[in-house]
Amino acid sequence: MARGGGNRSRLLLVLLLVSSLFFITLDLRGVNLAGSIRGSVASVFSPVEALFSRVFSPIGNFAGDIRNIGQASEKIEKLNKEIELLKSKEILDEDMVGQLNQLKNILDLAGRGGYKVVAAKVINRGSSATFKETITIDVGSSSGISRNMTVISDGGLVGVVKSVSSESSVVLLMNDPSFKMGVRIAGSQSIGVLSGQGGNSYLLQLLDAAGEIKLGDKLVARGSDGSRPFVPGVPVGTVVEVQSNASSITQNADVIASANLDRIGIVAVVVSAPKFDPRDSLIPKPNPTVTVYVTPTPTPTPSN
Amino acid sequence: MSRLRVFNTSIFLFIVFAIQETMISRINFPINGFSLYIATLIVVLSLEDRTGSLVFGFIGGIIMDLSITADSPFGQWALVMTLMGYLFSINKESIGDYTDAPIALIGFVSFASAFSLLVFVIIGTLLGEQMGGIYRNISLIFANTLWTLLIMPLFLPVIIRVRKALLTSREK
Repeated sequence: MARGGGNRSRLLLVLLLVSSLFFITLDLRGVNLAGSIRGSVASVFSPVEALFSRVFSPIGNFAGDIRNIGQASEKIEKLNKEIELLKSKEILDEDMVGQLNQLKNILDLAGRGGYKVVAAKVINRGSSATFKETITIDVGSSSGISRNMTVISDGGLVGVVKSVSSESSVVLLMNDPSFKMGVRIAGSQSIGVLSGQGGNSYLLQLLDAAGEIKLGDKLVARGSDGSRPFVPGVPVGTVVEVQSNASSITQNADVIASANLDRIGIVAVVVSAPKFDPRDSLIPKPNPTVTVYVTPTPTPTPSN
Repeated sequence: MSRLRVFNTSIFLFIVFAIQETMISRINFPINGFSLYIATLIVVLSLEDRTGSLVFGFIGGIIMDLSITADSPFGQWALVMTLMGYLFSINKESIGDYTDAPIALIGFVSFASAFSLLVFVIIGTLLGEQMGGIYRNISLIFANTLWTLLIMPLFLPVIIRVRKALLTSREK
């Protein structure tokens, strides 16, 4: 390359790098340069996303189905019975039936907790290049959605609304590494902080030094000031492993979420918090075990 | 490089970005997804001249910054992709060895995609962002590389053909 051309390339490089750094600096200093542009992009993309969501719904979940194949094998018999039932009722759209069941369970959870909700369909998952765990839902500001609203599914907490456009919203999932929330252990009432780890497990750090975490403890959302971003009482997860570290001041534990984030199709955004904290009432009750006592009657011995 | 080609290529990149955001992101890949957009941008950068690598690196990065799910500062991807464009421009002769053979190009695109994601994580960490644990990030980058290796053979001929169509008759 000629010397002049090399100088021009170098000048161009410096110009582009400075422009990038200028944008970053503006953004980090709170000048919301991208907000309106990203909002416009979201408004343009959301109808297309909704269309593709309808078309590609069964394809989109194929990988998740492969991952859950072990669990699925246990349920084959049960599902077969359900399929027969659906066929007998002449319901052809099985996908729709699944979504209706999810919606019914969400509304049931919201009703028990006293939450006013807006139901939404998941139309997209976060881009792989953003390193963020997000979903896009098909409701936005036109349906009364605003930032920092709690999002729930039939299992429990899903995440928090991060950004809103007129017809869609982006939800930050609870497994994102930047996600942190206050939780309460149902029963013992000890409080702690739950952090997303990017995968299916979460880290619970107890704030109470005298508190104790037990295996199987259920966690509920502690609730935020003004119920934003978290409404109280939503089931969050279950403790699956208690970390024993003698040098740690408080106890830590591994937690699995109540909601299956890999398989969410329908969610609900809590637009109004309940008047009273539902406390632990939304924790699913364990199935009662039936104990049968059998007292053998003495066999009559034949008399000689 | 004509203004018309800059405009046409930018439109092409935006269309691929729209496909990525509305369709590819719908697919729930194991571990992490596949970024058709990054792979396409890498292919474009590898086929461009020195100036083109820099310009389309910057434009491509700005388009990525428009992602509605992005939580990173606006301009971070532009910085990463401009740096990638610079690396491509100074190694133009070596990259020419890869672009001649399709299989080598797929391997090169996968590696370069992974490297750009790594640079993004490093710059994000330097900017004080919450990027997650090392293990998670490595697994995300690895999965993206794997998916790029597996899926790109399907898209590569189309991308190269479209890119050729975007060249002006003099550039051809």
